[in-house]
Amino acid sequence: METEGKVIKCKAAVAWEPGKPLSIEDVEVAPPKAHEVRIKMVASGICHTDWTFLHEVGKTMNPQPFPVVLGHEGAGVVESVGPGVTKMAKGDKVIPLVVPQCGQCERCLSPKTNLCSKNWEKTQQCLLADGTSRITCKNQQVHQFIAISTFSEYTVVPEDNVTKIHPDAPLDRVCLLGCGVSTGYGAAVNTGKVESGSTCAVFGLGAVGLAAVMGCKAAGATRIIAVDINSDKFEIAKTFGATEFANPKDHSKPIQEVLRELTNGGVDYALECVGNVGVMRAAVEACSPAGGVCVMVGWTRMGELTLVSEDILLGKTLKGSYFGGWKSVEAVPKLVQEYLSGKILLDEFVTHRLTLDQINEAFDLMITGKSIRTVIQM
Amino acid sequence: MATAGKVIKCRAAVAWEPKAPLMMEEIEVAPPQEGEIRIKVIATGLCHTDLYHLVDGDKRGFPVVLGHESAGVVESVGPGVTDYKPGDKVIPLFLSQCGKCKFCKCPKTNLCESSWATKYHDIMAEPTSRFTCRGQTILQFMGTSTFSEYTVINQNAVAKIDENAPLDRVFLLGCGITTGYGAAVNTAGVTPGSVCAVFGLGAVGLAAVMGCKNAGASRIFAVDINEKKFEKAKVFGATDFLNPKAYNKPISEVLIEMTNGGGVDFSIECTGNTEVMRSALESCAKGWGVSVVVGWTNVQDFSAKPIQLIYGKTWKGSLFGGFKCKDSVPKLVRDYMSGKIMLDEFITHKMNLEQVNDAINLMKTGQGIRTIMTVSK
Repeated sequence: METEGKVIKCKAAVAWEPGKPLSIEDVEVAPPKAHEVRIKMVASGICHTDWTFLHEVGKTMNPQPFPVVLGHEGAGVVESVGPGVTKMAKGDKVIPLVVPQCGQCERCLSPKTNLCSKNWEKTQQCLLADGTSRITCKNQQVHQFIAISTFSEYTVVPEDNVTKIHPDAPLDRVCLLGCGVSTGYGAAVNTGKVESGSTCAVFGLGAVGLAAVMGCKAAGATRIIAVDINSDKFEIAKTFGATEFANPKDHSKPIQEVLRELTNGGVDYALECVGNVGVMRAAVEACSPAGGVCVMVGWTRMGELTLVSEDILLGKTLKGSYFGGWKSVEAVPKLVQEYLSGKILLDEFVTHRLTLDQINEAFDLMITGKSIRTVIQM
Repeated sequence: MATAGKVIKCRAAVAWEPKAPLMMEEIEVAPPQEGEIRIKVIATGLCHTDLYHLVDGDKRGFPVVLGHESAGVVESVGPGVTDYKPGDKVIPLFLSQCGKCKFCKCPKTNLCESSWATKYHDIMAEPTSRFTCRGQTILQFMGTSTFSEYTVINQNAVAKIDENAPLDRVFLLGCGITTGYGAAVNTAGVTPGSVCAVFGLGAVGLAAVMGCKNAGASRIFAVDINEKKFEKAKVFGATDFLNPKAYNKPISEVLIEMTNGGGVDFSIECTGNTEVMRSALESCAKGWGVSVVVGWTNVQDFSAKPIQLIYGKTWKGSLFGGFKCKDSVPKLVRDYMSGKIMLDEFITHKMNLEQVNDAINLMKTGQGIRTIMTVSK
């Protein structure tokens, strides 16, 4: 390809500073260095984390580096690879990953976690392994959101942060497996380890929550209570497998009390998919004291979860997970397969399709609760 | 037996009101009703939970006879009781195991619907009691009330134990040792070769250390602000000893550094202090660390950053070590008799029931681990 080994000029949505709309800019994307992959992005979803990063600095998010190209839920095609890359080549369909899998560190070798520690600090600083970025704009280095940056027509990602997927995969749908759907689904089946015949409650019915509902159903839960303050979401929750619906605003009692009454003592599994510490507490209190498990899925780096210690002393378990607990490089291709074979739903999450220059509109749709997932076609 | 079917007059240590010393009184103990067992208490210990109730308990939970860690002999049984007979050695239990409710049938929990805790955990006792003193009803603490020469307990909360068991040792399995030991081996699920940290080195914490060792942990950090406890922690299997006051940074940071930046695999908090609960969670390894809360408090709220959990840690609680009480206590007695677990080493003071206020003072001042009180001869 004529672009190989050269700087590519292309369009990207740049966040110059916190609290401001994204700006569509001409950027320069450098060639991949050793163990890096340059990808032509085809489609990208928009996650609440992108918005949080931009608008919630100092509230639920620590101060972050700017300028930055956001986006971490994408799918694309390999444009070129840097030296040392052997697992994928030009033309391969791939999904960048929010959590890497080097396969060699202590955590990759442990069956208990997916939190690969390789390059962890650099990626959290939104830089690649060598401490720099491959994207520049107006002669300024632009950070790459968790070393990914899918809001750009081209991006460069460390090889451990990208996985090759089935050549027939429709990129405008499987991009959702880069974050939201895998996160919610995995929280139920991997982290919570939902059991057949159990009773579950899922708090928050965005993409992550709906994926958690789907995970509970796939695990064979008997009752899945979908909880949201927006009753418009109950119809789609039913599509994903919810059996009951509760809107906290319809009850004068706290929602956890309502759920305990509905289930004669509390649910077996509760999944919090909002990222709000008040909701997290309610989710814990909604669990059965007899072995109930509450999984924190919703992201918040700041904020304090406050609980009565007696609440877990009787026998509840609290846990959480990042990217659904999946070992990313090996799991995402399997999830793609499950979509292709009809085991998991993806189409149903996509409520809007827009172009890169409409990205701020996509954010508005998300924040106003009008969309589940908007897919940006690059 | 001469006393069967009759009211027994005997001595008991009564807490008439919160914060006041216990008073030795003559009380009347009614015969056991349907499904109940009347027990002659031989030996009892003092737990922090007794102290918490005495110092901070709900006023509605008084007057009461405290005590929930004991061993004794069956004096008589009420109608419908077929598994126990006079002369059997038993350990009263503050939890129940009816064997029939949904909790008893579930392997994940040791709760039981028939327990006093299901309905009356605020006052720590059932409203009905078999104790009276000068015409006034005296409540039975945690369904057990072992600070009395005789007590009456529902059979669901009584474990029959080996006839050769030494009651002056195995009474400890009624609460503290079972709680700490089980928190390690059951609730945390400590694995061979793992690294553990136990916060708080009273009887419960030392039992947790013993549990970590028995589970094959390769390194056990014993953490306490009272360094006098380190010697005993070593006896039970601790390999490293940390006094948080000796460091100018949070103990969780110290532990993370001492484990090469990783954090411990399992932490067990046995203090009832919410700041320590937080430290214990934060000391755990990202990705797989498990932190168990054992220490009890209903006074303060616990607080933590959710990111601790999102990064893969697990936080759980443990009640009576997660053991199904009637099934497990007899097995633990046999484990003691075969040398698998230690009990003698927990006993640091010996008294009789009349000296109960001295035992309370020892506990308040952090002296000793467990005081055994002889109740009946």
